[in-house]
Amino acid sequence: MPSGPTPTERSLPAAPREPVFHVRGLARIYGEGTAAVTALAGVDFDLFRSELVVLLGASGSGKSTLLNQLGGLDSPTHGTLLYRGADLARFDEPSLTRFRRDAVGFVFQAYNLIPSLTARENVALITEICRAPMAPDEALKLVGLGDRMDHFPAQLSGGEQQRVAIARAIAKRPEVLLCDEPTGALDVRTGITVLEAIERINRELGTLAVIITHNAILADMADRVFTLSDGRIVNERTNARRGSVRDLAW
Amino acid sequence: MSLLDRKLLRDLAALKSQALAVALVMACGLAMMIMTRSLILSLETTRDTYYEHHRFAQVFARLKRAPNAVRDQLAAIPGVATVETGIAMQVTLDLPGLDLPAVGLLNSLPERGEAVLNRVYLRSGRLPLSPSAQYELAAGEAFAEAHGLKPGDTISAVLNGTKQTFRLSGIVLSPEFVFEAPPNSALPDNKTYGVFWMPYKELATAFQLYGAFNNVALTLAPGASEGDVIADADRLLAPYGGRGAYGRANHPSHRRLDDEIRVLTGLSIAFPLVFLSVAAFMTNSVMSRQVALQREQIAMLKACGFSNAQVGLHYFKFSFAIVLVGVGFGAIGGIFLGHQLVGLYHIFFRFPQLDFLLDSRVLVAASVVSSLAAFAGVAGAVRRAVRLPPAEAMRPEAPARYRPALLERLGAARWFSASFRMSLRNIERRPIRSALTCLALALATSILVVPSSFRDGVAYIIDFQWDVVQRQTVTLTLVEPGPTRGLADFGHLPGVILAEPFRYVPVELRAGPVTRRLLLQGLPARGTLSRVIDAHPRQLTLPPRGIIISAKLATVLQVRPGDEVVAKVLEGEERELRVPVAGLAEDFTGIAAYMELPALNRLLLEGDRINGAHLTVAAGSWPEFLAAVKNTPRLAGCMIKNSVREGFRQTTAASVSLLQKIYMFFATVVAFGIIYNSARISLSERSRELATLRVLGFSRGEVGAVLVGELVLLTLLALPLGLVLGSFFASGIIRTLNTETVRLPLVLTAANYAFAVSVVAIASALSALFAARKLAAIDLVSALKALD
Repeated sequence: MPSGPTPTERSLPAAPREPVFHVRGLARIYGEGTAAVTALAGVDFDLFRSELVVLLGASGSGKSTLLNQLGGLDSPTHGTLLYRGADLARFDEPSLTRFRRDAVGFVFQAYNLIPSLTARENVALITEICRAPMAPDEALKLVGLGDRMDHFPAQLSGGEQQRVAIARAIAKRPEVLLCDEPTGALDVRTGITVLEAIERINRELGTLAVIITHNAILADMADRVFTLSDGRIVNERTNARRGSVRDLAW
Repeated sequence: MSLLDRKLLRDLAALKSQALAVALVMACGLAMMIMTRSLILSLETTRDTYYEHHRFAQVFARLKRAPNAVRDQLAAIPGVATVETGIAMQVTLDLPGLDLPAVGLLNSLPERGEAVLNRVYLRSGRLPLSPSAQYELAAGEAFAEAHGLKPGDTISAVLNGTKQTFRLSGIVLSPEFVFEAPPNSALPDNKTYGVFWMPYKELATAFQLYGAFNNVALTLAPGASEGDVIADADRLLAPYGGRGAYGRANHPSHRRLDDEIRVLTGLSIAFPLVFLSVAAFMTNSVMSRQVALQREQIAMLKACGFSNAQVGLHYFKFSFAIVLVGVGFGAIGGIFLGHQLVGLYHIFFRFPQLDFLLDSRVLVAASVVSSLAAFAGVAGAVRRAVRLPPAEAMRPEAPARYRPALLERLGAARWFSASFRMSLRNIERRPIRSALTCLALALATSILVVPSSFRDGVAYIIDFQWDVVQRQTVTLTLVEPGPTRGLADFGHLPGVILAEPFRYVPVELRAGPVTRRLLLQGLPARGTLSRVIDAHPRQLTLPPRGIIISAKLATVLQVRPGDEVVAKVLEGEERELRVPVAGLAEDFTGIAAYMELPALNRLLLEGDRINGAHLTVAAGSWPEFLAAVKNTPRLAGCMIKNSVREGFRQTTAASVSLLQKIYMFFATVVAFGIIYNSARISLSERSRELATLRVLGFSRGEVGAVLVGELVLLTLLALPLGLVLGSFFASGIIRTLNTETVRLPLVLTAANYAFAVSVVAIASALSALFAARKLAAIDLVSALKALD
């Protein structure tokens, strides 16, 4: 098991630097006319390298839609969505695939491991296709699963499966780690080990980590917290210092 | 319509392409079944009506010459109902515009009234019977069609040495010549062999047979024994040069028709069985998946009070809907193919009218059989569904358990990529489904091997029979056996390089209880033109004593070299001789027996006589040779090897190519259907896994490869298995097809295998691509959603 992070002091960047994501007036509307549903109604923010960001919101607040936009799974209806200065909205299908393959690590609420592959192979599946990955074993050790590498998903607990999913996401050394309710299906103790893994990756590799959750308690571990409601950011909070993941309880 | 039925219709609409794939495979089997059963019905009905209306005889005999008074003695044989006597003579024909000499069999028409038996059917024109009808004859339809002859055209024939020109009065058919082929020939050669009818008096006079006959047809009284009548007729006709009477079972035209019906009967069972089994398996996979997807709906229905029977019936209806479509397409396909084949039969079998008759009983049988197949396919899935307690069914199915595949456990793991391992493990996790998919693809491959092996077998025969065995340019046959010095006359024909004599004598060979009638051929001990070849293939030297028989005949008679057979001579004076079997020859034209010519003549006690000669003719002198042959008296036949060979090639090519097209279509449907269905089911079962891969950065092509990986592996396994199965089928079918008149060798070539593999591989690849298009519609965002 990795040792828990000690509370770290972090100052926000003083000088302007290039954001990983530059988002302005981002809107996503499904359907047309009277049947139109506005999932995002104009979101503005910049996300930077090494940040740990929590997007808080109730069901239907638009947080998943926002994550889909950041992950290149969906295109905005209006607004600007720049990744490292490049307009994601203009990416075609192969470029979006390339973007997801090289830049984004996804962690799903339901883990989404391939049941026919062992932990190591689930990670290797991704390292086989991307540019400068770390070794699958190394990624699994980072999430504390060095001794469970040859187990199939059906032989692992929920927390272990989620940590395999994190190892799979970070093995490609992504620029950004997008986590969709990573602890949603887990009990507190297991959830903490998963969050520790995400925090450690963020700290040691400098990966931008975005966690979406409805669990406000997770906000303490973040550098910045955005609260969404009805497709808008209704509150932005900057933590002067990140809280220890170990101290979280829900 | 109940709401459950409305659900059924909407579910069907959602699954339409998969349901269609299953229905099409089913339709292939049903089409084959409907086609073959209907063809059997068509052929049998048409044949029976024709035989009855035109009074086809039951016993037949040829003889040299008997006075008309013998006719009453024949009628007096116990068991004989009716007797018809007449004259049948083989003559050389000379057709304007045809430089090849052709052979005609001239049959007599009774002097007064209509024939009692074997009545002809007038297709066009009239019969040559009017008082002014001298120098008129009626021609058989097959020959007339091959030469474009119409009533009013003229044709020359050499009758007993005198060339005469006749006017065609009409075109006719006869129940005796439904299959109009030269004697002892398995295939028709309508260009060089025809059947004709002319008044008795004129024909008899030309051959000095007036007041006599050389051809007999009999019918039997109800309950009479055919064997007894034949034995009595043989005794009666022996002094008149009788050549042995025979029943319908040995009548060349009737037997050929019977063979065809027998083959159709075999096909009507074997093929539908294969296709319907595959369809049952496909129904099972589609329905199992459907039931798995609708687990919660089933639970809801049961929780709401629907009975197991109602739920079960709902899913059975689903598969019956597929059966309905299958039977519909099968009927359309069967009727269409049936019409095509009836057209092809016209080349071989001549009836006044051969119409395609749909066997309506088979439609009912087809519906029942395919319903049973679908029922068998769906029963397991439905049973599992209705057994599930509602509470349990409401919960999602437990995650699949996997383990390393056999190959990995054996230590080959390190060479495999992660996606290859996924394929291997998926195959192993569902061994029965994988095995059946593989088997279905193997069957698709195997049915392609069969028609190609026919084609290659025919090509082999053509080469063997007409390059290795028969190396002459032409064979001339005399009207009746003549002295050996006639050979010198043949040798003096223009352009003849080499002439070798032969003698044919009809015999009955007997070994134990088994007898066979055939022509015993007398040839030079080691001829260079018509040769006796063994299986190796080496030329055999005919020994001064003993007989060499074809391997097939040895099997039929159950004799081996060294054993003795009894040969009863059926020409002239009846004699029985015991001769040892000296060796076995390879002969694809059926049963055959050979002796050294002088040895045969010694046995026959009739001095040195020959029936004709095989000749090699210089190409440059060909026109002069043919012109001379046309004017040679006493010639009964002139067989030009290349013409026979070409005729054989064309007729077999037509039927084999139709067969090949049908089988290729069926194989494509099966391969396409199986792969499409498997890919769609995989796509449905693994949609979340595949969406995850897309989200994780796999391109659409890479995900497609993961989707079809296991199908590619199964196809690769199935192809060689299919070739083995196909070779096995080809050998089995050829064994059943092989009769004593037609023998096809089993020839399996690399080209045949390559073709079968290509068709299935291409159909599978296209089908996989077609199914993989659905990957574009996969919902990436769904992967992020939690399972409930």
